[in-house]
Order: sequence, then C-alpha cells, then structure tokens
Amino acid sequence: MISQKRNRFLLLLLLVIMPIAFISHFAAGEISISWSTFGDAWISFDSSNPEHIIVREFRFPRFIMACLAGSALSVCGLMMQTLFNNPLAGPYILGINSGSSLFVAISLMTGLSIFQSDFGLVSSALIGAFIFGLIILSISFKVKQGVSLLLIGLMLGSFSSALVSVIQYLSEANSLKMFTMWIMGSLQLVESDQLPFISVLFLFGMLGSFLIIKPLNAFVLGETEAVLLGISIRKIRLLIIVFTALLTGLITAYCGPIAFIGLAVPNLVKIIFKTQDHRILLPASLIGGAIFIVLCDIIVQLTAQWIPLPINAVTSLIGAPMVIYFIVKRLAQ
Amino acid sequence: MKIKNLYIGYTKTLLEIEELNLEAGKVYALIGANGRGKTTFMKSLIGQIPSLSGQITLDGKDLTTLLSLDKSKLFGFVNSRFAGVSYMRAKEYVALGRSPYTKAFGRLSAKDEAIVDQSFETMEIEHLANKFTEDLSDGERQMLAIAKVLAQETEYIFLDEPTAFLDYSNKKKVLQMLTKIAKDENKCIFYSSHDLEMALEYSDVKVCVLKENNQVSIISGKLDLNSLLNICFQD
Repeated sequence: MISQKRNRFLLLLLLVIMPIAFISHFAAGEISISWSTFGDAWISFDSSNPEHIIVREFRFPRFIMACLAGSALSVCGLMMQTLFNNPLAGPYILGINSGSSLFVAISLMTGLSIFQSDFGLVSSALIGAFIFGLIILSISFKVKQGVSLLLIGLMLGSFSSALVSVIQYLSEANSLKMFTMWIMGSLQLVESDQLPFISVLFLFGMLGSFLIIKPLNAFVLGETEAVLLGISIRKIRLLIIVFTALLTGLITAYCGPIAFIGLAVPNLVKIIFKTQDHRILLPASLIGGAIFIVLCDIIVQLTAQWIPLPINAVTSLIGAPMVIYFIVKRLAQ
Repeated sequence: MKIKNLYIGYTKTLLEIEELNLEAGKVYALIGANGRGKTTFMKSLIGQIPSLSGQITLDGKDLTTLLSLDKSKLFGFVNSRFAGVSYMRAKEYVALGRSPYTKAFGRLSAKDEAIVDQSFETMEIEHLANKFTEDLSDGERQMLAIAKVLAQETEYIFLDEPTAFLDYSNKKKVLQMLTKIAKDENKCIFYSSHDLEMALEYSDVKVCVLKENNQVSIISGKLDLNSLLNICFQD
C-alpha cells in the first residue's frame, strides 16, 4: 500500500532529523566546547578538566533526560488520546501531572523522612500520577463528552495546585525552596548516576506501551467496538493508566511538570503520518517527542544568557498556541 | 443459535422470547416500535448485555460460558452509524476486523490481507480502500462497516438499524447486499429496521415486537404491511 511506504519513509526521515537535533543540542550550551573535547570526555576522561566535567555531568544527563521526558510524555499523550477517544487529551491537561505535583509537595514539605530520598520522590510522584489517573478514568465513565472531561482535568489541576499552596504556606523555608525549584521544571536537576535507574523505569513503561499496540488500535474505534473485537477493555484501560502514570510520574519526579508535549506531539504525528495505526504512531511519538523537547531545550540554552527560561515555559509557549489551533480546527469542522 | 424462554432487559423485562432458532443462510428482520428493546435484544444475543433469565446456546454451548475473544469470532455487530475516524483510512478500518485473529502487534498475515481485500470486493467498494473514513458518505461508510464485519469472519452478523441514516437507494443497496451475503457466504444476518416495507421484502424471517405485551411474534412466511402495522404498532 502507498500509505504504508510513505509512513515508513517519514519514520526514517524522523530518524534522520533526530541526530541533527541532538547535535545542535550539544552545540547550543552556554559554554562552547569543541567536538574533540566531547569525545575525549568519554574516551580519556580527565576529572580535573572542567570541560570534561561539563560534558559528563551537565550536557549529557540533560540531553538524555530531555529525550526520555519528550518521548515518555508524548507516548503518554498518545495513549490518553486513544483511551479517552479525545484528541485533546494528554497527561498534563487531564491532571496526571498535578497528581504528581501534589504528592511530591506533600512528601517534600511534610518533612516525613522516608520521602526525602530519591526513591521517596519518585514513588510519591508515581503514586500521585496513578491516583489522579484512576480518578480521571472513573469520571470518564460518567462524562462521555470530550470537552467536559478536559475541563474536569483542568479542575483537578487547579484543585491540587490550591492544595499545594496551602501546604507551601505551612511549610519550612528550606523545603519550600526545594519544591519551588522543582515546580519550575528543569531538565538539569538530574545527576548522571541517577540516569540508569530512570532509564530502567522508562524502558519498562515504554515496553509495556508497545505491548498494548494491538488493543490501542481497537480502542480508536471506541470501547464498545473494542469489546466486539475481543479486547478485554477493563484490563487494557488499567494497563494504559499504569503505564501512563509510571512514565508521567517518573518524568515529573525528575523534571517537574512539563506542559503540552503530550498533547501537541501526538497530534503533530497524526497530522504528518495520517494514520491511526499505533504501530506507526507509537514509535513516531517516541522519536518526535524527543526531537520536540530537544528543540525546545535548544531555545532554553540559546536564550539562557538573557533570560533563564524554564523548559516548561518554552513547551507552553510553543504548545499552547498549537493546542488552540487544534481546537479551532476541530470546532470548525 | 437456539434461544429458549429468554427474558431480556436491564432491571425489568423488556422482551420475552419463547423460542427462536437462528440459522445460517437466513436473514432476520427485527421490527417494532421505538423503545421496545430491539437494541437491547440484539446486544443480549451477542452477550454484551446479560439476559435476565432463559438460555442462549450455540452448538450446545451456553453463551454465558464463552470468552469475549470467542464471541468476537462468532458475532459481528454493526452500529446504525459509523461516523468515521480522523486520519483513519478505509483499509485500516476494515483491517481492524481481523483483530480477533492477529497476533501481539496486530500485524496482518498474507491470509489476513487477502480476507480484508476480499471483504472490499464482496461489498463492491474496492475503490474506497485508500480513502479516509471521514471523507466518505454515510452510505459508503455503512458499506465499509459491513466490510469490516465480513473481515471478522463471524457466523452471525447483527446490525442495529443499518438503514437508518441512508437515502432510499443506499437503503436498498445495503439490504440487497446483506441478503446476498447470507446466501453466498452462508451467514446468519439479523438486523433491526424501521423501514418496514423494505424489511418485509429483504428478510426470510420477521421477528416482530408485538404492540400489546412484551412478546415477539416470529413469522417465516409472507407478511403484508397492513398486518404488520396491526400487530406491531399502535394507531
């Protein structure tokens, strides 16, 4: 079929664009580092050379974290859009992120020592994402119209940020500062020794998402049709929420809330590939998400000398107008 | 499919069916006034809604013992309207009918591909294969929805008011096609309809929901419009 060949070509094209974006990302840092130094930092590492430290401890973790975050959030957005049969769904707009924020706020600022560790941060973000995912899922049984569900997601977001404000008011200066740093959203908070742990969780969530490609394809027709095609929707619904919570929670724990990527990238991918086949959409969102956030982070790096923009601001600046465009286009139909 | 003393409904009984056997190669038309449980009846027959009491058996097996994957290989169901899905091509849509048979990633085997192509051919809509479902007319989409259910290769095909959103010639085309499929492919076709004259013409058995009580009358022979109006509809 022509469309299949076309899609394979486009997927390949994305794979070609990817390294270009990645190389530009390495080059966009505030301190310019020569390409040979990049190589040396890995081949013959010299711990007294500050440039080597920058490469290994700053540029590289930031780059990897950007890719993981972009991919994870885009794939989550895609799965949410399919699950709720709503092209405007996404982990941020449905309040999955805010679940993480709320639980991270509780754990950082209540001073419970078990939560102060890395593990505590991640697990509270995951639990928050999962609980809010379940809340949205259970509401979705009652509210069938797409836009109402989005409004409820936004309300969940406002509700939890109000709770967070209360917690902030009551908390100590020190933990408040930690939380404020976190909520700004940054790809730079991650240290290189945390990357293996993050990558393993990421791979787990991503692998799970790829394993449910077939039911996702059936879900595109709506749940009633999916049942008729022999899909056990209860199980799949829960799996989608679990994988989404895992990936969103993980990224939110380490980067803070990042908006709109999950919404914008899958929509862009659908516009480009013109298919609903998740065998194409899922890998394309994975690659596209990495490219998208890396490009956003290049903007962050290039403007850093004038204004320190958080990554969340850039993704919102680009993502929000795109979402408005999608809505207008949809309503115009 | 054998149906015995079946009571269907959600909490209170909507319909009672004493006995009805659905046979391959025959077309059944379900006729009755609005709100009398026609859709509920069909969804009960394919095991999507539990019946209140009674028994539905297939080759001696009770319907309630079947897994949802088994059911998806036995029953196809076509809604009265398929509105189309953005960015989904006709072929992609019909190929989803193979879901009960494909492996982990939903990859189509050569055999699956052939069945999908055959479904397009049977419905005489090969020219639509590469079009987007959103760009098609209601008539074309209805043919497509039937093609999908053909690709599902089920013994039974249930259709909920398949002609409701179609113009005269498309209504006729769809019903002629269904009759042809029942004969050529030896399938059991069961549809509900408010297009009474056509339903009378294009069906072997009429399942009529009576106007007075919750009973149905099953009529295999000829039935004229006036007597149908008399037994099914209030004046």
